[in-house]
Amino acid sequence: MRALAREWRLLSAAARLALLVLGLLATIAVALGLTSVSATRADIARVVALEARETEAIIGYAAGAAGSFGYYRHHPVWRAPNDLAFLAPSRGDAVPEVQRIRLLALEAQINDNETANPELLLAGRFDFAFVLLYLAPLVLIALLHDLWSAEREAGRLGTLQSLPNADRRLWTPRATLRFGGVALALLLPLAAGAAIEGTALPRLLAAVGLVLASLGFWALLSLLVARADADSATQAAVLAGLWFAVALVIPAAAHLGINRAVPLPDAAAITRENREEVHAGWDRPKAETMQRFLAHYPEFADRAEVGNGFQWHWYFAFQHLGDLHVAADSAARDAGIARREALAQGLGWLLPPLKLTQGLQSLAGSDVTAELAFRARIRAFHRQLRDYHYPFLFDERPMTAADVAAAPTFETPPDL
Amino acid sequence: MQVRLVAAAQLRLFLRSRLAVVALLLLAMLSAIAAVTGAGQATRIATDRQTAQAAAEAAFTAQPDRHPHRMVHYGTYALRPLGPLAAFDPGVDAFAGSLIYLEGHRQNASTLGAARESSGLIRFGLLTPAFVLRVLVPLLLVFIGFAMIVAERQAGLVTLQLSHGVDWGAYLAGKALALGAVAGLAALPALLALGWAAARNPGELGPAFAMALASLLWLLIWVLGITLISARARSPQSALLTLVLAWAVLVVLVPRAAAGLAALAHPLPTKAETDLAVLDELRRVGDSHNPDDPHFAVFKARLLQQYGVTRVEDLPFNYRGALSAEGERLTSQLFAEHAADLAGIQLAQQRMIGIASLLSPAIGFAQASMAGAATDLGSHLSFLEAAEAHRYRLIQSLNRLHSFEVRAQDDAARSRDPLAEQRSRISAHFWAEQKPFTFTGPSAADRVTAMLPGLGVLLLWAGLLGLLLMRQRAD
Repeated sequence: MRALAREWRLLSAAARLALLVLGLLATIAVALGLTSVSATRADIARVVALEARETEAIIGYAAGAAGSFGYYRHHPVWRAPNDLAFLAPSRGDAVPEVQRIRLLALEAQINDNETANPELLLAGRFDFAFVLLYLAPLVLIALLHDLWSAEREAGRLGTLQSLPNADRRLWTPRATLRFGGVALALLLPLAAGAAIEGTALPRLLAAVGLVLASLGFWALLSLLVARADADSATQAAVLAGLWFAVALVIPAAAHLGINRAVPLPDAAAITRENREEVHAGWDRPKAETMQRFLAHYPEFADRAEVGNGFQWHWYFAFQHLGDLHVAADSAARDAGIARREALAQGLGWLLPPLKLTQGLQSLAGSDVTAELAFRARIRAFHRQLRDYHYPFLFDERPMTAADVAAAPTFETPPDL
Repeated sequence: MQVRLVAAAQLRLFLRSRLAVVALLLLAMLSAIAAVTGAGQATRIATDRQTAQAAAEAAFTAQPDRHPHRMVHYGTYALRPLGPLAAFDPGVDAFAGSLIYLEGHRQNASTLGAARESSGLIRFGLLTPAFVLRVLVPLLLVFIGFAMIVAERQAGLVTLQLSHGVDWGAYLAGKALALGAVAGLAALPALLALGWAAARNPGELGPAFAMALASLLWLLIWVLGITLISARARSPQSALLTLVLAWAVLVVLVPRAAAGLAALAHPLPTKAETDLAVLDELRRVGDSHNPDDPHFAVFKARLLQQYGVTRVEDLPFNYRGALSAEGERLTSQLFAEHAADLAGIQLAQQRMIGIASLLSPAIGFAQASMAGAATDLGSHLSFLEAAEAHRYRLIQSLNRLHSFEVRAQDDAARSRDPLAEQRSRISAHFWAEQKPFTFTGPSAADRVTAMLPGLGVLLLWAGLLGLLLMRQRAD
């Protein structure tokens, strides 16, 4: 402990300032994260409340027609931020955090983007994950690269090395203090954020573990290079170059390679085909539409008669056939995106800092896997909605206010 | 003369330094990859969107005889085209939806976009020529040039050269010139990509030239800055640390922090909330679901009075079509108001980031380059506006067909009477008469004008650093 105190006193003013600034930036990142997480929760709550008001209005004019509810009523779906979302929030992403879904063909709804300023997305997010991946390593490198060479260049190295137990008494406390300073600069804001969010302890520990592992990687690398017999400028250049490659160049190049290696079905064509199939429903013989629908919902076989005029059950039958028409392509697209993400995760095993950032985003629930899971949950919810509405439509049963209230609601799965 | 000698000597030193040569080769490789894939990708995306736009128009035109309101719901698509200079800087393209479904009654969200179909790596930056110039080349120049003066001073070589009659100013200029030559070499593949894109599209020459100018000014800032720090630093190590820090702050930190603060200062409502607000306001203005709605009652009374009749059946056109048109007018008015609000918020965010470019010219460079390539926020917003304008024009044109080409009696009876239903379908040739969606984006002159603030910031920084360098004494 005395050795650590001594090392703190020996730390240059610039180094102390660097630690302070890093801690400040981490604090700002956590504060921004907390703000955006609570703003997202407020957005979700507002949309759910406004939607309830809208549903009341529909009850007023729908006169109990289940088809009108199917057509006009929207159901909010959302991704509620979890207790670590403040580390890498997804607010302002192209994928909405709260969205409105109705009974019509889902393919025309599920790809909707959030109203986001693309220039902000391009700039990237100033969040804790960013501080951990980009800024903290640079400070660590600056503090550790010349652990030995600075003393050598000052002409003191020989004397210091000749001290008994120099490693234990001098170099270990010195490296520990510098590493500990960087770690504290990140972990204190992290802990404060977690306390505010009430983060579950195991998840907080997982996040702390990722932070320490990421910093540990850079510390070890820095010490390895610092050990080499080279001047401090070369050591700094080598380390900064490695950081540059790991944090910027390789991910950007790999992104190009992965997207090239895994082509996706054309999304614009899928959208168009979905619409063609849905609208073709108007012109097809109604009996044919119902027959094709019944292949998937045989339980309505005894109620699927259609007359000449417009009937809601027929309308929603061809809406669903439109989705089924492109289901394979759409699933292949989601699978392709998942494959791209899997490759990126694979690359993470070669680049520990990348893997640790991915781990943090996964804990925060803002990675691509979480986006795909959200899509899957929207699909499942849409199916629930259809299953709930079909009996009303096929039986031409009126939907009472109680029936409207009993419709499925989107549930957020528990965290973890 | 002295300048050239110093520069030539420094270039020989660069060539002898393994670090410099390896770094330069690596960068040239990256730059070439970015240029080639950038050109390939931009061409592919542009063609894909043209094809999709043509397919959307063809599908619309190919619809059979139909009731025009069916076509209102059938709708069409608008795709954001990608200009040729996007090969150099695709800007926000990956993050802005590229497709909008245009239909009656609704203003749909934009959909798709590379950001939704890529791995999480897309958040680490896109390897494009503009990214190479903005992010990678400056750090490379730092690695190559940080020691060029401070190391010579430490070795006593500066004093030696000055005592042999080399002028200090010429010495600094020579060093800067040598580093500038390296910068030019490093930027060459990216600039060639820009030149190639412009050469094949002569109309793009103006913006391309301004973009090249912005790139060169940006690199000049780094050449001057590195020379200055190398002349000032006490040791090569401190020069390197200062420069890497400056790079991290200017290129990595400030742009993100500015974006984060802009989002905080000007929050955008979600699409879901905007849509719900529109529905609510709509009920107040005129509720088409309410048979006794005062707005639509007035609308009806005015039409009856105007045509001197007492029943809508006696109007010289189909009242249902007129009603649809009036409903569309009301909703679209609200869409336009909210879209203007949303655009206003985003532009305020952009302005705030633009102010931060005084702190970091990297922002000025990025904004100028995107504006030149028509891949900035402004271009995206004008696409959204054009798509909405097209939607409104098309839907109202279909509503006019509904009013004047579908007989009111047939329209009223069509759900009961198959023959009336047949008669309520109008000829398919009307679909072909609808104007297709065209969006050419901001003109070359507008784009160059939009680049001026960014160029100004770059000039300011270059001028300031040049001034500091000229005042830098040899001590």
